[in-house]
Amino acid sequence: MNLAMLKPGEHGKITKMGAVGPLKRRLMDMGVLVGENVKVEKIAPLGDPIEVTIKNYNLSLRKKEAEGIEVEVVK
Amino acid sequence: MSKTIQQDEEIMHHASGAARQKTITIAVAGNPNSGKSTLINAIAGTRLYVGNWPGVTVEKKSASFEYEGTAIKLVDLPGTYSLSPYTQEEIIARDYLVHEKPDVIVNVVDATNLERNLYLTVQLLELGIPVIIALNIYDEAVSKGYKIDIRTMEDVLGVKVIPTVATKKSGLDGLLKAVTNISGSASMHHPKKLNYGDDIESAAATVEKKIKSSYPQLLHKYPLRWLAFKLMERDCHVMEEIDIGLDNSFAAFIAEPITHLKKAHGEDIESIMADERYALASGLSREVLKRPEFRKMEITEKIDKVVLNRFLGIPIFLAAMWVVFKLTFDFSAPFADWIDAMTTGPFKRWAEAILGFINPPAWTVSLATDGVIAGVGFVIVFVPVIFAMMFFITFLEGSGYMARAAFVMDRAMHAIGLHGKSFIPMLLGFGCNVPAVYATRTLENPRDKALTSLLIPLMSCGARLPVYVVFIGAFFTACAGTVLWSLYVMGIALAVLMGIIFKKTLFKGESPMFIMELPPYRMPSFRSLMIHTWEKGKHFLIKAGTYILAVSILVWFLLNLPWGVENKKDSYLGKMGQVIAPVLEPIGFGNWEAASSLVSGLIAKEIVVGTMGEIYVPKAGDKKKAQPALTDDLKEIGASFAGAIKDSASNVFSTFGIASLKSEESAEEKEERSPLRDTIKSKFTPLSAYAFITFVLLYMPCVVVAIAMKQEFGTWKWFGIAFAYQMVLAWVVAFTIYQGGKLLGLG
Repeated sequence: MNLAMLKPGEHGKITKMGAVGPLKRRLMDMGVLVGENVKVEKIAPLGDPIEVTIKNYNLSLRKKEAEGIEVEVVK
Repeated sequence: MSKTIQQDEEIMHHASGAARQKTITIAVAGNPNSGKSTLINAIAGTRLYVGNWPGVTVEKKSASFEYEGTAIKLVDLPGTYSLSPYTQEEIIARDYLVHEKPDVIVNVVDATNLERNLYLTVQLLELGIPVIIALNIYDEAVSKGYKIDIRTMEDVLGVKVIPTVATKKSGLDGLLKAVTNISGSASMHHPKKLNYGDDIESAAATVEKKIKSSYPQLLHKYPLRWLAFKLMERDCHVMEEIDIGLDNSFAAFIAEPITHLKKAHGEDIESIMADERYALASGLSREVLKRPEFRKMEITEKIDKVVLNRFLGIPIFLAAMWVVFKLTFDFSAPFADWIDAMTTGPFKRWAEAILGFINPPAWTVSLATDGVIAGVGFVIVFVPVIFAMMFFITFLEGSGYMARAAFVMDRAMHAIGLHGKSFIPMLLGFGCNVPAVYATRTLENPRDKALTSLLIPLMSCGARLPVYVVFIGAFFTACAGTVLWSLYVMGIALAVLMGIIFKKTLFKGESPMFIMELPPYRMPSFRSLMIHTWEKGKHFLIKAGTYILAVSILVWFLLNLPWGVENKKDSYLGKMGQVIAPVLEPIGFGNWEAASSLVSGLIAKEIVVGTMGEIYVPKAGDKKKAQPALTDDLKEIGASFAGAIKDSASNVFSTFGIASLKSEESAEEKEERSPLRDTIKSKFTPLSAYAFITFVLLYMPCVVVAIAMKQEFGTWKWFGIAFAYQMVLAWVVAFTIYQGGKLLGLG
């Protein structure tokens, strides 16, 4: 299960970061860390990118970037 | 010039800093959207000097002033979330902090987003430079019901924390007082060493010891703890700088504690460090921040529910863009017209009158009026539109909508290798390519900026319209709308095509990421908007103005020399036209008249029409007009300026009349143009006419766009590429149209 698969309104907990190099560092700098709770807020009108809430602020990223972030669904 | 002064100042500051009254250097660091710009503007105001960081196109703001007898130099670092070695902004910020060693860092922290902002604070503390925290947007945090324990925050970090509201200028006095006190009570300002956990600390201690014993020369250059951390992280930027990455004994030595850390955490070292820094930030945030338990739905959420809605999102975005476009160009058009009328009317007459007293040779009068004054006028004409564009772009960014626009459009723009934010510069391109190129500065990534700038000239700007109008009027009156529409669509389609081609060639392999904060909506302060707008306008006037003036004088020489040529064919321009003409033969207009007109279009595409007029319809002696008296001139200037304000206001407030797009031709202009149309009818066929206007659409960016690109990128490279590809593209497309049309029997 990865972040791009979550539907708007669903919560997840990050279990693994698949990205490497600058992309990984950038995500981590933005607070996307293993163990963090994340909620998918919206999908852009054209289907990509997505908006998530993490660390109490709103972040947008492309689905391709979200695919590298493993999550488990939190009910 | 000002750069050298600044450098001298810095040298003096370092040399004799202790002896004379010390200047305190403040570096202002903070996250994007933390209100840092507003804070800087509120403190420094018009004393801000805006330039570029050396070698890059990132804006650098600085200001020197006195506060209660202390000389202060303020340097604004680029807004960053972190100090990683991967983005231009972050490298600039950390290089400045490490190598220039400011006396104090003012860290602007968004009180409503404490945790993520403190992540940067934690990294700033690693440098060992005194830090003062400006806890900004404090009013919003209070109204959200947040309770922040400032005393505890100060104790834990060992730095002074001052609540500020930059938009209302509150807390700034306290901030500056804290800065000037910095030399007095050192204890409060020397940040505490935060504990990164036993295993990281012991690894760091080992590395520090090794640096001290084996590489003592590095101690003068880098803060020890920071250097140890960077070496542990294998920070590529630092490794490159100090070159001990090549030193095997050091690498082996450092590998041991790192492997140990890696094993214990099951992660790479960069992630371990980031995790630990965030743990510190989260811990502190939990300790000092109390949020109300019941969270009410915030205004930002409510707006986004509508603005980013699946069905409404795009229509709202397009409507917003329409308004911005109309406001930018409708607001500025009457002022531009007024400036144009002034420089071609009264100012020119006055210059002629003044020169008349000393009775100089005729060519100097022409050079002064048609070359210099027209050139200056040409520069100033752009000022209103640059001001208006800057104002609206700054508003979009400051309010938070720019990020939403990027979010909504990214999918479509990404398909041609662009970023969601590229849409706005491209759209502005339909009005004028010049502000469009300046608007690319909202794109952080240099690659996105370059690609967007390369495609902007394919957006058919307002200056090309007069050329279309003349040719459509001569050949296509029956289907004028369709022909005009086809040109705009062709520009867009070719932009898509070229975008895909560039993505796969010039920018192959690089694919910038789209990881962007959607900040809360906020009302930008008017003062901040005005300062930003003014800085940009001034910058354009001084920097771009000089180049444009030079080019305009050059064009005067081409048109008028050798002095006294009867036939335009014998002027330098005419001669250039004759040389170029054969190249244009296969695309339908291989004559020197068309070629010369195209060359003159270098300065602005609408000039193509003017030059054609001069060549095809030589004036039968100047019309003698009664010279108005000076008082009449002055009255007229005042009256027409008042008229411009009125027009501008009514354009903005009334309907969205399409003033900037429709070609308003006075009866007199029409009368002048009809002989030109007749001549064009005899020189072109409908097919070659269409090939010609297509060529005008595509053939090159005008000189002002060239200068804007040079300014934005600091190099002529991107203009060179734009020029080359557009020339080829224009020729190929015109060739296809003309030859293809002939094959189909349309010629």
